[in-house]
Amino acid sequence: MNQTVVSYLSQYEFYDFLLALFRSNQGVLAFTLYLLLALIIVGMCATIGGLGTYAERKISADLQARIGPNRVGPYGLLQMLADGVKMMTKEDIMPFTADKKLFYLAPLLCLTGVFATLAVLPFSSGFIMADLNVGIFYLVAISSLVGLGVFLGGYASNSKWSMLGGMRGASQIISYEIPVTISILAIVLLAGGMGFGTIVGRQGGLPHEWFMFHNPFAFIAFFVYSVGALAETNRAPFDLPEAESELVSGYHTEYTGMRFGFFALAEYIEVFVVCGVAASLFLGGYNVPGIKLDILPMQAAQFVIFMTKTLVLYYVVIWIRWTLPRLRVDQLMSVCWKYLTPIAIFNLMGCAIWMVVFNGKSIAELVLGSH
Amino acid sequence: MIPAQFDALMPIVIFMGLAILLFFGGHYLSVVLAPKKPSHLKSTPYECGELPVGSAWSMFNVRFYVVGLIFIIFDVESVLMFPVASIFRELNDMGQGGYALIIFLSFISVLIEGIAYCWKKGDLDWVKSFQHSHKKENK
Amino acid sequence: MFLQFLFISSAVLTVSCALGVLMVKNIMHSCVFLLGSLMGIAGLYATLGADFVAITQIMVYVGGVVILMLFAVMLTGGNDFVSRAQNLLGLPASMGNKWTYAIGLLVGVVFLLTNIQLIRGLTKALPVKTITNEFPSTVTQIGHLLVKDHVLAFEMSSVLLLGALVGAAIIARPRKQN
Repeated sequence: MNQTVVSYLSQYEFYDFLLALFRSNQGVLAFTLYLLLALIIVGMCATIGGLGTYAERKISADLQARIGPNRVGPYGLLQMLADGVKMMTKEDIMPFTADKKLFYLAPLLCLTGVFATLAVLPFSSGFIMADLNVGIFYLVAISSLVGLGVFLGGYASNSKWSMLGGMRGASQIISYEIPVTISILAIVLLAGGMGFGTIVGRQGGLPHEWFMFHNPFAFIAFFVYSVGALAETNRAPFDLPEAESELVSGYHTEYTGMRFGFFALAEYIEVFVVCGVAASLFLGGYNVPGIKLDILPMQAAQFVIFMTKTLVLYYVVIWIRWTLPRLRVDQLMSVCWKYLTPIAIFNLMGCAIWMVVFNGKSIAELVLGSH
Repeated sequence: MIPAQFDALMPIVIFMGLAILLFFGGHYLSVVLAPKKPSHLKSTPYECGELPVGSAWSMFNVRFYVVGLIFIIFDVESVLMFPVASIFRELNDMGQGGYALIIFLSFISVLIEGIAYCWKKGDLDWVKSFQHSHKKENK
Repeated sequence: MFLQFLFISSAVLTVSCALGVLMVKNIMHSCVFLLGSLMGIAGLYATLGADFVAITQIMVYVGGVVILMLFAVMLTGGNDFVSRAQNLLGLPASMGNKWTYAIGLLVGVVFLLTNIQLIRGLTKALPVKTITNEFPSTVTQIGHLLVKDHVLAFEMSSVLLLGALVGAAIIARPRKQN
């Protein structure tokens, strides 16, 4: 059965109090709770998206031995607000040869695809908005809407830069979905289920209980997943579809103002989601090392652990962007089909054989003896 | 009252609705706040200072389509593998791990043959190498 | 109430986007309406409780087939994608002529009569089932069936996919210039 936030909250007494408040209409109460929590999550992710732009500029400045934004607010922290206001007040230009309806639709597709993935992220053991039985599968499926948004954005602009960027972007996103999905399959094998609750519940808090160190194949699968997910989010060094030196701005060349803001917001939130998924699948998710209680402050600790792991991975993603040069388009495709996909398939077979031969035990369990 | 198994659909629909709301809200905000001074030059597609010649909607290379085809095959394959992978641990605990392993590996190995074929025949190359076309000419 | 809302919105999305596929002149818009229609069908599967099938629909159709169709349309090229073929009434040619609607009506009537006969036979014997709260996941059920009862179908599907892959690669290869 699918666990949700509301079914978790229904254990506590204040849920009955709220139920009496809503005159025992469970449907409306559930809807209100979901809406409130969804607004909180969306607000948090939009803030993280904004902080992502600020963090990117500060970290890139650090890596390039300069200071970065420090005028607007203390340490330049309000720079993201200034950027947001700038985007809203820029004129909304559309090329007159563009396809109007699809021009409007493309950012909406990207945004919907990314927001719908927020519903299954495991922030803590009770605070998964919808712990679907097919959680990770749903996440991969819905994020393919972003690829469609990229293609339609590139097509609708009717500019040669955008068209090339859109076609390359769409083919990059669909190609890298394969190693990502096969790496996730290896983890589903180890966990015995697709839901995030199952996967994270099977891991522990300490590093030797994470899936990354379960067997050497899962270790390689972590890196295959990271590379593939970096490429799926069009993030450097795979950012050919939006490269500044090659295609002006690729598929979002002709987008101005708030529409461009939507593309950028969708990209930053998608990076956050991808890091969150990597943290949950490979790095133990929200499990707190050592303690295993079931009280409400535990949820806060789990949330903090999850966000810490995700933000550390986010830092690594930004770090990689400003360190490595960009890949050429044929190198990009050959990395995917000739390197990552065979490695991912090899990992999958290796994990399956390990499961049968060692009866599903991790390396730590074999060496230290299971307890 | 909602049957329990459909509880989980509500947050998904709410998030999609929030995305649509955010989109239209932002759009309306920019309609209110942003200036609107259209000119002919601003509305031409950007081409680094030159005037654009011809439409961008021209014929594209077939390699995009080949990549899409190969992607679909592997997509369907991974979708078919998901249920088997989900119960693999359960079957292993029941003692039927070897049987499940044989089924799983034989499924994958057929598709490994597929990718090997495409690799050898040069369908995975983004740019057909000179050697490859040279070999074809010599035949 | 939520289920009804979901069902009605999915059904409206499916049918209206399917009509949109037929009635729009621009082929790219047609593909995007097809996308909407397939998402509506995924929603319908979700209302039935078939979570795995719904997400398979999104993953394979929306994430794969629609993108492939868009690539194929871009492959054919052309200056714009608007079709100017029209039928007698001035509607786009995909809306059909009088024979389309006549045959469609005939098939619809035959279908309706057959279904009424079938359903009349069935409803007498059906017990009333209540949806239980302990709904097991469909994924484990499908997994068990694939591994126990339908193993041959599972393995044959991989051979079918191999055949599709080889066939597609051969068709998409450039012809030898003689």
